Amino acid sequence: MKRWLELPFRLLLMVAGFIFVFNLPALLGIGETLTFNLEPFWNSVKGNLQELTRIDDTSYISLFDEQNFTESYRYTMTIFCYSLLTVMGTGMLAAMLVQLMPKKISRVLKQGINFFEGVPDLMVIFLIQFFVIVLYRETGLKFLQLYGVFGAKPYVVPVVTVSFLPAMLLSQFLIKVLEEEVVKDYIQYSRAKGLSPLRILIIHMLRNIFPLFIMQLRTSIWIILSNIFLIEFMFNLPGFTKVLQLVTLRGGGFLGLVICLLLFILPLLVMEFLSLIAIKTVNRKESASI
Amino acid sequence: MRSNRKTAIGSAILLLLLIASLLYPLYGPADYDKKVMIINEAGKVIGSAPFPPSSEHIFGTDRNGQDMLLLLLYGAKFTLITAIVVAFLRVIIGGLVGVFISLWAPWLKKYVNDFFTVFRFVPSTFLGIILMLPVMFHEERQISTVVVYQILMVVLIGIPSVIVFTEELTEELLNKSFITTSLLMGASKFHIIKRHLLPFFRSYGILFTVQQLLTTLQITMHLGIFGFFLGGPTEGGIVGFDEPPKSASLSNEWAGLIGQNLYDFIRAPWTISTTIVLFFLVIQVVNMIKKELEEKMAGLPQLTRMPKLVQTSTRTVGNPGPDQFIFVNEKKSLGS
Repeated sequence: MKRWLELPFRLLLMVAGFIFVFNLPALLGIGETLTFNLEPFWNSVKGNLQELTRIDDTSYISLFDEQNFTESYRYTMTIFCYSLLTVMGTGMLAAMLVQLMPKKISRVLKQGINFFEGVPDLMVIFLIQFFVIVLYRETGLKFLQLYGVFGAKPYVVPVVTVSFLPAMLLSQFLIKVLEEEVVKDYIQYSRAKGLSPLRILIIHMLRNIFPLFIMQLRTSIWIILSNIFLIEFMFNLPGFTKVLQLVTLRGGGFLGLVICLLLFILPLLVMEFLSLIAIKTVNRKESASI
Repeated sequence: MRSNRKTAIGSAILLLLLIASLLYPLYGPADYDKKVMIINEAGKVIGSAPFPPSSEHIFGTDRNGQDMLLLLLYGAKFTLITAIVVAFLRVIIGGLVGVFISLWAPWLKKYVNDFFTVFRFVPSTFLGIILMLPVMFHEERQISTVVVYQILMVVLIGIPSVIVFTEELTEELLNKSFITTSLLMGASKFHIIKRHLLPFFRSYGILFTVQQLLTTLQITMHLGIFGFFLGGPTEGGIVGFDEPPKSASLSNEWAGLIGQNLYDFIRAPWTISTTIVLFFLVIQVVNMIKKELEEKMAGLPQLTRMPKLVQTSTRTVGNPGPDQFIFVNEKKSLGS
């Protein structure tokens, strides 16, 4: 295929995949048995395409206004940013601790972190919820807000709940990467020269695994976003999930849905771009070294 | 030969649970020991459901007065069978497509990946909700159709990742020298699949299935939270103070049990926690199997998550153990 055709074609494919998946329920008719009905499917695809091209139609705006759109988006993104920072900080710190501690302690730490690999996220959510409720019942302390009722906007509990498992996964990944890095020649060399372990770790190793870190961050962001979606529903938080739900269930139109989804996964898109750059750097480095 | 002890124990546990659940109609009461109120001799009501765990109801009862333990036992089969069926279908369909693409149409790979971009960006729970919308509301429908539809949708959500994994694995294997040699000597692609790839796929297929089992359990749980139950909702639902009554899961499978008791968590935490703990145990068992399988795979070409990355430099030049030495004269005597 010609070079200049390639990119538009692939973009078209992405859009086609998107529209196909969202119209799949129309393709499968549910009656006595499952039937393929192409006609409704085709009609609904056509309808969606028409809607996508009519940018000037702004009927969905009123629906957005009703849910104070910007306010809820800001809230969700604030939770997201705090969670991401927490995940990065905790993950890094845990990995560094495991790397620096004596063998015995680090083995225990590693086992603890590996344990959380198999813990379902719902269990973590319920445990934290239970903890907050019990704390309130026993001590009457109400500084940890849980639910988003009566205009309340809790931050602490959602951020902790959202970022707990991703932080564990990130640190697990970093521990593995650091273990692979530590046997490399330049580390042996700098250790032989007498540099302190902390200095080697911070100045040399962390800098070298940075591209890998960026690439893993994409997974972390993905989990954080899914968790936010879940938690905002469960705790009834006044976040962007409300808008998404409204648009899906009450029919805010296909264009409205697309805009909402794009806004929701915006961090993921940014991250994708960053990790593309990271991959390029890694590959260049690899081709430079023997 | 490494043993399969953990896999055997894990599978036995799951099988036992499944059999106990399948045989439930033979030993369990059909109404799950339903008891809404406790009345003392004087005819006074001294308690009403949900009852906390006691010696009579080990796991407590839900708001309908149904015994949680019996409900869980009854529902286990639906959860397990769905998860297993979905995982198998995902691996078989995704695997076939992946192998076909990487052997016969490598140029198609990036376009297929583009087509499935939406799965890489939209959270799968949200996709599941969109796809399940048509069967969410209670209408008169054939239950089998609803279930088939739901299973198809959950299968679809997992297929793109299986395709990508299979493609990576096949490409890595195709680069092995024994396969390139075989190709150079004129082997057909079917021969390559039958002789060289199939032995690998057999072991990797099991690993993929176990991994997909985990993700399936996860997504059914999430869908249950949002009220999208496998098998659809019932008309009656959970009685209580909400009007109209909250719809309940028809099949009593575990994710549905979590979803239908979601708002009882504060008043009756045991309705949720027992289910979650059992879910956790099942996932731990599956995870145990997965870990052992992964360890066994360590000898085979590793499937790296990031194929384009720096190779790990592990230098393990082991010395042969003392039992591996054979003196020359002994060797001669062995030979003669």
